[in-house]
Amino acid sequence: MTVRPIRIHASVLPGIAVAAMLLLLAAALLAELAVRATGLTLAFDRELARIVAFTTMQAALSTVLSLVVGIALAWSLAHQQRFPGRGLLIAMFSAALVLPTLIVVLGLVSVLGRSGWAGDLYNAVTGRSPGFSIYGLSGILIAHTYLNASFVVRTLVNRLEAVPPENRKLAHGLGLSAWRRFRLVDWPACAPSVRGLAVTIFLLCFTSFAIVLVLGGSPRYNTLEVAIYEAVRFEFDLGRALALALVQLAVCAALVAFVGGLRATGRSIHGAATMFAHLQGPAVNRLQRTIIIAAAIAFALPLIATLIDGSRAEFSRLLAEPVFARAALTSVLIAIVSAAIVVTGSVAMALTRRQFTLANRWADARGSPLAALAMSYSASLYLVFPALVLGLGFFLLARRLGGPADLWAVAALITANVTLALPFAVAVLVPTAERAAARYDRLAVSLGLAWSTRWRAIEWPLMRADIGYVAALALCLSLGDLGVIALFGTQDFTTLPWLMYQKIGAYRTADAAGVALILLSLVLATFIFVPRLFSGARHAAP
Amino acid sequence: MLRLEDVRFAYSHAADAPRFRFDMGVEPGTIAGVIGASGTGKSTLLDLIAGFQTPQAGRVVIDGEQVTGLPPAQRPVSILFQNHNLFEHLSALENVVLGLAPRRRPTAADKETAAAALARVGLAGFEDHPALNLSGGQAQRVALARTLARRSRVLLLDEPFSALDEDNRADLTPLVRAAVTEHGGAGVLVTHDLNDCERLADRILEIRDGQLHEVG
Repeated sequence: MTVRPIRIHASVLPGIAVAAMLLLLAAALLAELAVRATGLTLAFDRELARIVAFTTMQAALSTVLSLVVGIALAWSLAHQQRFPGRGLLIAMFSAALVLPTLIVVLGLVSVLGRSGWAGDLYNAVTGRSPGFSIYGLSGILIAHTYLNASFVVRTLVNRLEAVPPENRKLAHGLGLSAWRRFRLVDWPACAPSVRGLAVTIFLLCFTSFAIVLVLGGSPRYNTLEVAIYEAVRFEFDLGRALALALVQLAVCAALVAFVGGLRATGRSIHGAATMFAHLQGPAVNRLQRTIIIAAAIAFALPLIATLIDGSRAEFSRLLAEPVFARAALTSVLIAIVSAAIVVTGSVAMALTRRQFTLANRWADARGSPLAALAMSYSASLYLVFPALVLGLGFFLLARRLGGPADLWAVAALITANVTLALPFAVAVLVPTAERAAARYDRLAVSLGLAWSTRWRAIEWPLMRADIGYVAALALCLSLGDLGVIALFGTQDFTTLPWLMYQKIGAYRTADAAGVALILLSLVLATFIFVPRLFSGARHAAP
Repeated sequence: MLRLEDVRFAYSHAADAPRFRFDMGVEPGTIAGVIGASGTGKSTLLDLIAGFQTPQAGRVVIDGEQVTGLPPAQRPVSILFQNHNLFEHLSALENVVLGLAPRRRPTAADKETAAAALARVGLAGFEDHPALNLSGGQAQRVALARTLARRSRVLLLDEPFSALDEDNRADLTPLVRAAVTEHGGAGVLVTHDLNDCERLADRILEIRDGQLHEVG
């Protein structure tokens, strides 16, 4: 095979520029952390080892639980195509990705907390108070499983529905048991995604902040992210913060290198596959329906609790508070700017990355695999530099370079939001861009279409629905994020999640529930309506 | 041997949903070929015989016994699809053995029977080959070996040659015929390719307007 050199073409420059900026940002942050580390006594002590051990343990347990629950639920949903309300459930699990973690935490506390619904019910039935506490490891695991099992479901239902019907017919025709059908037909369909899912979930739980901050309850249950936050915010011990950050960075970088970034998860899950639920036998059908019902209740209850608790808030007073108006305005403005950057950056990266993977472009050219890999890794920056490590980098830069603190805070927040949404955005848009090009690239080249004509006639109609989804995703993730703001938040510079956290900390639970309800409404409305702004021409999708 | 008696089926109650009404009989040791354009109901016919769909009325009878309400695994039926006939992560031998011992641990005798079936379709020495690495023709042979080993009374052939080249079609034709005829069983071949039908079938029917019509 002749190996061709890559010719740099103007069409790939935007994507390369975005990747280069991200890698430059990573290098700058790394340099800042490393430079500062040389001037400080890093506290690599037993306490740090204990935090690392707990962070790893809770992430590993959360990953296993999320996978077990997610696989069982995906298997059940994929096979029960006619389950009443299946479409609504699927929409709910799709939306879990954008639910602000603090809202999930608040909802779980309302249901499973000391005076929560479950405790009251247990008390009414047994006359005793439950020994269970939502605060501590169990609460952390439940919240992580709640959010990440949905992520597993989103990915695996698609995989299970893509199994050729012939394979399912064969398994039923041979009379294989339910367990053997799972092992021979369902599991092989899921297995290729499970390693990527496991590493991604482990990373997300390893770098979990808001959940551990609220549900951890004591320093015993601190993860690295929370420990960084406490070292900067309360102890102002930069040596400890840097040691924690560097350990976190090393683990995350190793794992990202291992898995190579997020895999495509698809825009939504939907079902039109051929399943044979009527042939499964009553016990298997009962099991699947029980799993779906249990998961639906477990998923819906915290959200219902948020709605009910929130509706009791004193909205006239809450909305009139100047701090609320400031928080809402800051949240919305930062979300819009972040989403615009995410959409522009991810489209540029998707259109560029396909040039390095398409057979009729440069897939066989020298350096193409490296270029494609560099683009994947640059898009996965957040997984290496989670919110608090990134925030710490900006914090140190701000202290060294000076300038208006608010400006640094805004820059840090937007950067964190962009890097948070980018892996998901790229994972959605790259396959779409590749499919569009695989179908029309030769035709477009043979017709000699100009770049702008090609975008208008091919890419935009085929990608607009996914771009709408990416815009909604970026807006929602940005609106609900409680990460960097924890380092930079003040009374004047605040966002809705930070305001909610402050109200929880001040035991103003009703106010916190009110803010949660407003934030939840804002996020869900964005997730439902923003994609519609981009809808149309969906029929053109390949 | 195989009879469909006034079998009626529709996927939904909607007024515009296609409705099927099948009547047919296949004698022992013969293959009935069924042709028809895409979407006319060829696969539906096979699904009704195999038990993947249950008719709203009528009877499916095999060897004089009504099987209409039985699940697929309890019918003496094997199916050969166009592709996806094998579990790709299993070896050729494991795929054949699975047909002999779907619900129990395979015995040494099962493995011997499976190996003999593989040898019969020209795949001796391929026992440990992963199904994923087999060519299209080899994969169809493994599936056929499984069918031969199972000795099912009815063999359903769902466009089994569509993905194969002419050489493979010529090689596989006598093997398919043998799988049907040597135990006095019956075969139903559905295809859109008249040449395949003429090559393999003893008589030809066409699905038109949801019903079967004899054409040759």
